[in-house]
This record gives sequence, C-alpha cells and structure tokens, in this order.
Amino acid sequence: MQVREAMPTSPAPVSARADSALRMGRLTRVLLYLVAIVLSILWVVPSLWILLVSFKPQGSNVLNVASWFQAPYSVGNYVYAFTHAPILLWLLNSFLVALIVTVLVLLLSVLCAFPISQNRFPGRGLVVFLLALGLMVPGEALLIPFYLLFRSLHMLDGYGALILPSIAVPFGVLLVKQFFDGLSREYFEAARMDGCGVLRMIFMIAVPLARPALAALAIFTFLGSWNNFLWPYISITSPNVMTVPVGIPFFNSSYHTDYTLPATADVIVSIPVFIVYVLFQRHIIRGFAFSGLK
Amino acid sequence: MVGVRKYMPSYLLMLPFLILYLLFTFYPIVRGFIISLQKFYVLGTKEFVGLANYNYLLHDSTFLSSVWHTVIFVVFSVPLLVIIPFCLALIVNAPIKGRKIYQAVFFLPMILGVSVVSSVWSAMLGNYGGLVDAVLNAIGIHQEINWTAQSTQLAWISVLAVTVWWTAGFNMVLYLAALQDIPKELYEAASLDGASGWAKTCFITLPSVKRVTILVVFLQFIASFNVFGQIFLLTGGGPAGATTTIVSYIYEKSFSEFLFGPGAAASYILFFILLIVSLIQLRLMSKTE
Repeated sequence: MQVREAMPTSPAPVSARADSALRMGRLTRVLLYLVAIVLSILWVVPSLWILLVSFKPQGSNVLNVASWFQAPYSVGNYVYAFTHAPILLWLLNSFLVALIVTVLVLLLSVLCAFPISQNRFPGRGLVVFLLALGLMVPGEALLIPFYLLFRSLHMLDGYGALILPSIAVPFGVLLVKQFFDGLSREYFEAARMDGCGVLRMIFMIAVPLARPALAALAIFTFLGSWNNFLWPYISITSPNVMTVPVGIPFFNSSYHTDYTLPATADVIVSIPVFIVYVLFQRHIIRGFAFSGLK
Repeated sequence: MVGVRKYMPSYLLMLPFLILYLLFTFYPIVRGFIISLQKFYVLGTKEFVGLANYNYLLHDSTFLSSVWHTVIFVVFSVPLLVIIPFCLALIVNAPIKGRKIYQAVFFLPMILGVSVVSSVWSAMLGNYGGLVDAVLNAIGIHQEINWTAQSTQLAWISVLAVTVWWTAGFNMVLYLAALQDIPKELYEAASLDGASGWAKTCFITLPSVKRVTILVVFLQFIASFNVFGQIFLLTGGGPAGATTTIVSYIYEKSFSEFLFGPGAAASYILFFILLIVSLIQLRLMSKTE
C-alpha cells in the first residue's frame, strides 16, 4: 500500500526518457506512432461525430461522410433542447448534489480518520474492521433497503435521496487515514503541548498537509456522484429533480429515429465536465490513480 | 471516568461519520437480509418465509441465466480491460511526441458517464443505421446490422466494445502510475548490457507491474460483476433477455415487478460473491507485499 503519483513532477525522468528513446529501434518507433495515432482516432471519433451531429439540422443524413463538411449547420437543436427540456436544471442538480456530497465526504472523512490514525482508544480495531467490511459492500446490493428506507421517510424523489446514501463512504475515511498515518506523530504531540485544540490541529495542521490525498478524494467523489446512475434512476421520477445521468435517457426516450437532438443533449451536459477536464486534466488523472492505488 | 474523558474527543470526532455509516450502510445491509427472508404482499403486509426466496431463485431460469450472462461478461471483459489498458499505458509512457494528448484522449470517455456513453453509442451502432454501419458500407460491406438487438453475440460484442471504450482509460491510469514508479536505473543498466527494447519490456516492465495487475484484475472483476447501466441503456437486456445480468435482474425484480423478497435475495447472493472475491484479493495482495 503505497501512494504513487501518476506523472513525474521533476524534469529528470524526461531526460532519462529521451536517452532511452535513442536506443529504441526505428521500426519500433514507427510502429508505436502508428498504433498511438490509429487508437487515438478510434477513441476520439465517437465524441467528435456526436459534436458534429449536434450542429446538423434535424432530419439531415448524418451518416453521409461527405455531408459532414458541408452546410447546412445550425444551432437550432441547442435552442430546441434548452426550450423543450430542463437540461440546465439537470446540470444544476447534478452540480449541487456532487458539490454537497464532495464537501460532506471530505469533512466526515477527515474528522473520522484523524482519531483513528493518531489516537489509540478502545474500539478502534472494531471501527477499522467495520470500515474494511463496508468497503466490500456493493451499492447495487442495497437498492431495496434504500428504497424502502427513503419511502418510509417520504424522501424519495428529492435531494435527500440523492445525497444521503453517498456521504458516509468507508473508502474516503480509509484513504485519508492512510495519508494521516504517514504524518509524524511528534508534530501533533508538539501542537498538543502548546495547548492546540484537536479541531485546530486537524484543520490547521493535518488538512493542509493532506492536500494531495484530499484533492484526489474530492475529484474521485465529485465525478462518482456526477456519473451516479442506478440509484438516482430508481429514486427520482420528477423531471425537475433529475440529475444529468437520469435526465439524458429520459430526454432521449422521445427521439428514437433522430440522432441530432440526443447528440445535442449529450454535448450540452458534457461541456462543463469537459472544460473542467481540460483545465485540471493532470490533477484529475493523478487523482484517479491515487484513489485507485490507495 | 478518567478513561472516558481521555477518549471522548476521539469518539466525538468519529460520531457524525459513524451515525451516518450505520444508518446508510449497516442498517440497509441488515434490513436487506431480513427482506430477503420475507414475502411482500400488495397491501404492504409481509410474512417471514425463511429461505423460500433463495429457493425461488435457484429454480428461476431467468435468475440462473442472469448469473451465467454475468459470468460470460466477466470472463471476456476482465482480460480485455487488463490487456488493452496495459498496452495503452505502454504507449503513453513511451518517449513519443504527443503522449499527453493520447493519454487525454484515452481517458476522456471516463468523465462522460454511463448515460452519455450509452447515448453516443446508440447513435454509433444505431438501430436505423449508425456510424459503424456507415463506415462498413463505405469499405464495401453493404449490410444493415442491428448491433444491439439482432443476435446474442452481436449484442455482447457491442456491450464489450462500449465498456472497453468507456473504462479502459481508468485502468490505463493505474498502470501508468505503476510504470512511472519503475526505477529508471533498471532500464539504463539493462541498456548497458545490450538489452533490446522488447527484452526490457519483458524482463523489467512485466515483472514490475505484477502487483498493480492484481489490483486492476480485482477492481475490474468487481466492476464487471456489477455491470448494469450500459446494458440497460443499450440493449435493454435483449435480445430476448440474452444480456440480462445479475444487477439487471435485481432491478427488474425489485422495481418493475416489485417483488422485493427475491430481489433482496439476489442482492445478497451478489454481495456474497463479491465478498469472497474481495477476500481472495486481500490474500493475494498481502502475499505480494
């Protein structure tokens, strides 16, 4: 169990790479470029095609390659999608739910992980065991109890149902705990001697030091919530409370033979995540690697 | 009393998490098990029926075939989603121009989410002629193929292709992190000894990624076992139920037919299988420590 970084931060490995590059055979090199470029094209074509289709008027033949690069183009689909479905509301719901879930997961994980990592108290072993056990429970197995619980609380089809099941995740506590374990105990002992309260210790010392782990957890949690499908699909039925993953199939179900409007909805809901991805690509990929490797 | 006062801050800090954890993880686990032993009636009354729901599942051909379909998906998707991401990681880790761009492109579908991915691929594979058919037409294969509904094999191939396109980037990133952890000195020493690039790959790279491979295999195993969204949205479990998996079965039983008892029992069987898999993983991981 070791924390690794997805990308080199110092320039040193680059020169080492350039060095070994010289020793790579020419044929291997050509093959590598060929494979990389062909695969990249294969990977990017579906997204690019959908982007193009979204700018084609409804009913146009989007399968004809020649027509891709010819007028007519139009933004009519975008106008139609925005005026005929609450797509902006779905985006806002997804964003708010993901934001609240992320903030709560970080807060709860930090508060719970700190004493487990730094203190010894009766029942500590039991708590760690319960957390490890919870790690093995697939969310898919809890759908029925969740459904009955939220139904009896009269909280189905609301934000509570979207947020509450996702905030107490053992994964977050264990990830943060592992990072806290790496911090020197003397640090906190010294702070305690100086009369520093435990909350100040957590938020002034531990949290700033744990920034890489918390950033990784935040990215992982936010995207997890943003893409959560099955439980929101079961619990949410009102179009106004829907998140993006539930809204998209709901929207698409009215357009079976037309590709342009579903494509437009896909593009609209992907633009925010895409911008965030482009801006923070390095951090996002590193965050995923960090969280995956624990 | 001194002890209580000493430990109090620790307990208080953990309290908010633990309350929510008990309420939204442990209570549902226990409640789920109780439900799996009950029969629900339309009017809301329920009755204890012992293991009858489990017995029902063992004799329900739809459930048995959903288990079989899940196993098929796991058997095909796990190797694909280990080998392809490893190759992608090798490519983006190689000293070639634009490797950051290739990496971004391979990872991109991961951020899109299952609904957008399924929507994109419904158009790609479309029932009324998608882009894939159009490309096949252009290279001389003039046949209209209904990828997601025409035959069992084609439906599975579609689901596998979409899953690989969607999630390969995640495993690639895990491999990439492991590759960049290999000490460069190993490669330099091997080069001095005259080792070729392929020899270095076989004798340095492959042994070095053994641990991360165990991790990727198990993460993928669990993800594949829980497969639902892309199947539900692309094939709807069809043609004729041929792509119904365990989670689709749980969904159908519980939220279409509202038979909570058998649904909860199926959930518990899924939970139990994944628990065993996780325990095996922990054993293997601690052995390679």
